[in-house]
Amino acid sequence: MRDGAHGGIDRVFAALGDAGRRSLVEAVATRGTATATELAAELPVTRQAVAKQLSALADAGLLRATRSGRETRYQVTPAPLEDAVEWMVSVGSAWDQRLAALRRSLAGSQGKRRSIRQPPDGSSS
Amino acid sequence: MEIEREIVVPEEPDEVWESLTDPQRLEEWFASEVELDARPGGEGLFRWGDGDERRAVVRELEESERLVLDWDDGGSVAIELEPVVDGTRVHVVESAPEFAPAFELRALAWTALAAA
Repeated sequence: MRDGAHGGIDRVFAALGDAGRRSLVEAVATRGTATATELAAELPVTRQAVAKQLSALADAGLLRATRSGRETRYQVTPAPLEDAVEWMVSVGSAWDQRLAALRRSLAGSQGKRRSIRQPPDGSSS
Repeated sequence: MEIEREIVVPEEPDEVWESLTDPQRLEEWFASEVELDARPGGEGLFRWGDGDERRAVVRELEESERLVLDWDDGGSVAIELEPVVDGTRVHVVESAPEFAPAFELRALAWTALAAA
């Protein structure tokens, strides 16, 4: 369900699946913009590790990268998160449709099998 | 964060259970092509008309009561049946570990943009 029309969602969810990457997105969002150096100063990880994660998040479309002198400055892009939320809504409407189909399927099978719900006098036939 | 749905159908739980576990019955409402080994640890394969495909493993199975599938992408779906006066209540909860962070980060991202 995450493939096809929802191509990018997989990458967004994969990016969000890791707690470390999530907290990086949070840290960037909280600061407005941030560089790997700034974030590494606050977090118990090396600058290289932060830079690698930031680049992966940018690839997933969650962060936008702009060059700032010798460093890359990142900022959060909400659009992929909107897509992710939209996907969740579509999961809900898929269930609405499935459950309606389940109801029809059950109703349709009543003639073929003995239903305990038939009136006791058998007048339903 | 979870997606939750509920309906009441007039059939008895054991009949609804068949619709949840018999691949042929599942093809009438859940997906267009279904393979399912309906026992704990059993594997399932679901295909939809638009080309989507999901694999699952049965995590929990209590006959006529509860079926929990773990999707291979990390999410899960739990379907519970409960006998009620006018039939059976079908309760569905689909969850994915990323649902909550996506919502939280979305709120945070918009707040950050508004402040920028």
